[in-house]
Amino acid sequence: MSDLHLSRRQLLRISGISIAGTIALAACGKQADVEESSNIASAGTVPPTTALPSAEVNDIVLLRTAASLEYNAIDTYELALSAGLLTGDYAGLADAVKRFRDDHQEHADAVNTLIVALGGKPFTCANTRINEVYIQPAVELITAEGNPDAAMDTVALAHALENIAAQTYQGVVGMLSTPALRADAMRIGQDEARHAVVLAQVLNPGYASVGPTVNEATGRPNIASVPSAFGGLGSVSLTIGTPSAEGQKTNLILETPSLNSLAYDYVSC
Amino acid sequence: MTLESQRRPQAAPPTRPTAGDKALLAFAQSAELAVHDLYATALEKGGYGEDEAAMVALFGEHHLAYAQSIGGLLGADAPNTRNDDLYRQFASSLTGGASSNRILQTLENTLASTHTDVLGQLEGVDGASLVASIITVEARHAAAFGTLPSLSLTSALDNAALSLAPAGATTATTDTTETTVSQ
Repeated sequence: MSDLHLSRRQLLRISGISIAGTIALAACGKQADVEESSNIASAGTVPPTTALPSAEVNDIVLLRTAASLEYNAIDTYELALSAGLLTGDYAGLADAVKRFRDDHQEHADAVNTLIVALGGKPFTCANTRINEVYIQPAVELITAEGNPDAAMDTVALAHALENIAAQTYQGVVGMLSTPALRADAMRIGQDEARHAVVLAQVLNPGYASVGPTVNEATGRPNIASVPSAFGGLGSVSLTIGTPSAEGQKTNLILETPSLNSLAYDYVSC
Repeated sequence: MTLESQRRPQAAPPTRPTAGDKALLAFAQSAELAVHDLYATALEKGGYGEDEAAMVALFGEHHLAYAQSIGGLLGADAPNTRNDDLYRQFASSLTGGASSNRILQTLENTLASTHTDVLGQLEGVDGASLVASIITVEARHAAAFGTLPSLSLTSALDNAALSLAPAGATTATTDTTETTVSQ
């Protein structure tokens, strides 16, 4: 029990402060001839909130997200071809890049066929958030003036995206509701893994580079065709861009789509 | 909140392998043991450079790891014996070096097709997730054989191999030997 005792003078002072505070808050409230704004809180009113759309993660949403990633890959390969990013030693990759682009279009069509069969709306464009968070920053680094490794970095970006796509299909296996859909997902996922191997061998060729190895200078894992015994679901590291004075490039970390990057029913192209 | 927890259960699939799953996973484990032994045979035949042999050994170890993981999921129901039909079908074709690699690539493609079919019949999520994580790497193995020593896009990317998976979740009948898996 507190033994706080207030004198009459102190009580009157506190009352005065309380009244002044209430007047000040009321002044922030509704006023005549002033348009009311729901963005400004005022005494005695609660601003209305905008409810988020109902978002259920179901088979259709998972497949729409997979389709969106296919379009991310298609757009990236299209950019590599149209912007002439594959130069020098990498110019000979154009045929492979066209094949990969066409494979991804086939995958997107196949996934959208499944989506429609399940009663969903097909998704025929790239995942906006994946584009904004991963691909655009990577493209800016690749195309920055003075980057001596633009072609190699383009291949590295493609390799990272193929790994993310493979992981996405593998990851949704645990969430899809039927065995048939899981098998359909992995029919495509294994194609992405094969793409990744071809690109890994371009970046780090030879038998000795197939399994996991570590760069002794940086301590980081080298690009490997078969980096682990089991397909992983972790983040994918992408090291690209103009080297710093110390020879260090920028390291980006890519991850498979999460709740804030799924192609929900209410998301449209 | 994780993505998985957000997902609304629509008649949630079982987690652990069902009785039908166990028969399919037992078949898959026996196939993995056969391919592991075929890799060992390929290495015995030789014809590899040092780095190439290391890659072949690595892939062989992966197949043993798959057999062990499937065995861990099956517990006492694991056969822990190789599919002898599969072993005999390919063993005599392993004549060394590049010739062996073509056979091993065929085996990898066959396993990728087989496991994809198995995945399409598995009810339990644990088994499905494990098999999916195996499929993706067996596809990588096959692609590596198509990429080295020189790149052939069609060899690396295309898989025309037929599945060996038993149709339906019935008990797989395999001629087995006593090769065991350490667990």
